[in-house]
Amino acid sequence: MKAFAAALLVLVAACGEGRAIFNIDAYSFLAGTGKDTIPYTIPAGLSGTASTVQKINLPPGFGSSGIDSVRISTGNANLINATGSGSIGFQLFFASDSAATYSAPLALNIPPTSVSGAQTVPVVITGDLTGVVDSLFKQQTLWMRIAATANNTGVTALTGKGALTALVIRVVLRDKIF
Amino acid sequence: MRNGVVVFALAALVLAPRPARAQFSLDARRVGMGGVSLSRDGNVRRYNPAYRAVKNKNRVSGAPKFTIPVPIGLIQFFKDHPINQLGHDPMFNPDSAAFNPVELMDIVFNPPIFYEVKKAPTPTNDVEFTLGKNQLILNLGATRVLIPEQKFGLGSTSRLLDMGFGFGGINVGVMGFVQYDVGFTLDSALHQFLTDTTVGAQPNTNYALLGDGIAQAGIAPTVGFAERLTHGAGGPETDDGFYIGGALHYYLGATYGRGLGPAGFTTGATVLGSTPTPLLDGTLLTSNKANGHGLGGDVGIVWISGPFEVGAGANDIGAQLTWSDTKVQRFQYDTAGDSISTTLVANHVESKTKLPITYIANAALHMGTGTTVGGDVVNSGRGTVIHVGAEQRTGPFAIRGGISRDQRKKMQFGAGGGIRLGPIGLDVGFWTHSNSLSTQRAITMATSISIY
Repeated sequence: MKAFAAALLVLVAACGEGRAIFNIDAYSFLAGTGKDTIPYTIPAGLSGTASTVQKINLPPGFGSSGIDSVRISTGNANLINATGSGSIGFQLFFASDSAATYSAPLALNIPPTSVSGAQTVPVVITGDLTGVVDSLFKQQTLWMRIAATANNTGVTALTGKGALTALVIRVVLRDKIF
Repeated sequence: MRNGVVVFALAALVLAPRPARAQFSLDARRVGMGGVSLSRDGNVRRYNPAYRAVKNKNRVSGAPKFTIPVPIGLIQFFKDHPINQLGHDPMFNPDSAAFNPVELMDIVFNPPIFYEVKKAPTPTNDVEFTLGKNQLILNLGATRVLIPEQKFGLGSTSRLLDMGFGFGGINVGVMGFVQYDVGFTLDSALHQFLTDTTVGAQPNTNYALLGDGIAQAGIAPTVGFAERLTHGAGGPETDDGFYIGGALHYYLGATYGRGLGPAGFTTGATVLGSTPTPLLDGTLLTSNKANGHGLGGDVGIVWISGPFEVGAGANDIGAQLTWSDTKVQRFQYDTAGDSISTTLVANHVESKTKLPITYIANAALHMGTGTTVGGDVVNSGRGTVIHVGAEQRTGPFAIRGGISRDQRKKMQFGAGGGIRLGPIGLDVGFWTHSNSLSTQRAITMATSISIY
């Protein structure tokens, strides 16, 4: 691992005072595992939350770097509602281990989107995470929890699933790589 | 890690007669002629044993007895980087936010002895990684063009001393030799990974830097011969004639070490689904005793006819040393322990090394109108360098120009001039070079004082 880290560091060092930019395709870690969908079943008149948690590997050796910015550059999900009516929102949490994602501060909040009956509603997920999760993105691994918050405003059960289709996190590091 | 880079860079600064040094000169006159030497010292005597029989006088009338370089670049360098503050200097302080390893390496490759009229810009651009479970794409931006396609590294063969005595055309003596060569080659997968901005790393693939380095040193008792076989039209009072020379060396190796093997990483079934495994499988050979031995020789010829002179010489022909007591070790990365394991493969075994053949071919024409043109082809053990240059003297003034092809096969250009005031002359030479880690040439101004 040290060798791989050293190789990456030399590559970045070779570019002088430029920045290191990481486009992390978080969706690729979720796709095909079943974790890219969040099913929900909310009884009438109630609210609830369902989550999926995923580990993300990052290149090592950037612990001393400064973070310029962390943002979701590309993010898309489909709300595939089956029955009922209400609203579905998304929240993102990041932490250094999976359990801590449940107590981590909210990193990004996507306002609720209304759904009604059997329909598929696309949702765009973008936003700036800078300042909330900076230190985590200097680590070799971090955990991400995507929570779907559902609010059933109807008289029948609200059922369906949120299906993530794209999620790219763009991290920009300032030079301080050794 | 950063400290390691600094130590390496500084060590290299001290030790490195790097590839570009073959055409580096402290003489502003030579710099102004693109690196060619029109005198019978330096390279021609080093590489051509026939020159032992040629009078050591300069081919250029009015040429100086010796030259003293004026290191204006060092003055500027130590003004910018005071010696008593080097410990806190951002250039040498890895903890400084302004520390840039590239600038430090540029000093190694291009010592600041002379003034840089035009500095090669340090590549500064963003490096972009695209990471996914099965995706690792690297975009080095403009710096991508610096990724070498062929073997790169450092190397040189030096003769630290060459002393002896002669009688007639025979010369008996002893010389010391030091040879080292450190080369690296990117395997095709790693080269593509570093230069291709769309494909990226592939699963279950090795990405390696192939290293091969050797260093050896010792002494060599030598018997040499150099003689003028024929007199030319000018008669024996002139230098005209055909000269031959040769030398036989019995190399006594004092120590050597050689390391070779790949270093890199291996991707898993998914590129970043798991951490890539470091790849290291090196073999190190070292001599246990100072008992290397072998034979080799030098040959050379020179022909001088009036204003025309041509010569050719080669060194260390057939120089192969046999080391009868060698240790062979293998270094491998141990995945389980995340460490490097060492295995003794064999001990007290025989191994062989070679000294690279080095050579020079040179020619010069003194036109009698104050114009001298010349050229040489030199290989000091790591690639061929070609120099062609000319000098025109008019009264106390001299103008010079030349071109060269450096070891990286890039064309470089030189120009300069000088003025002689009695026994002292001042010379200035400009030359382009590609010694820095940059895609652009730099221009150096060399200055020297000549004593006539």
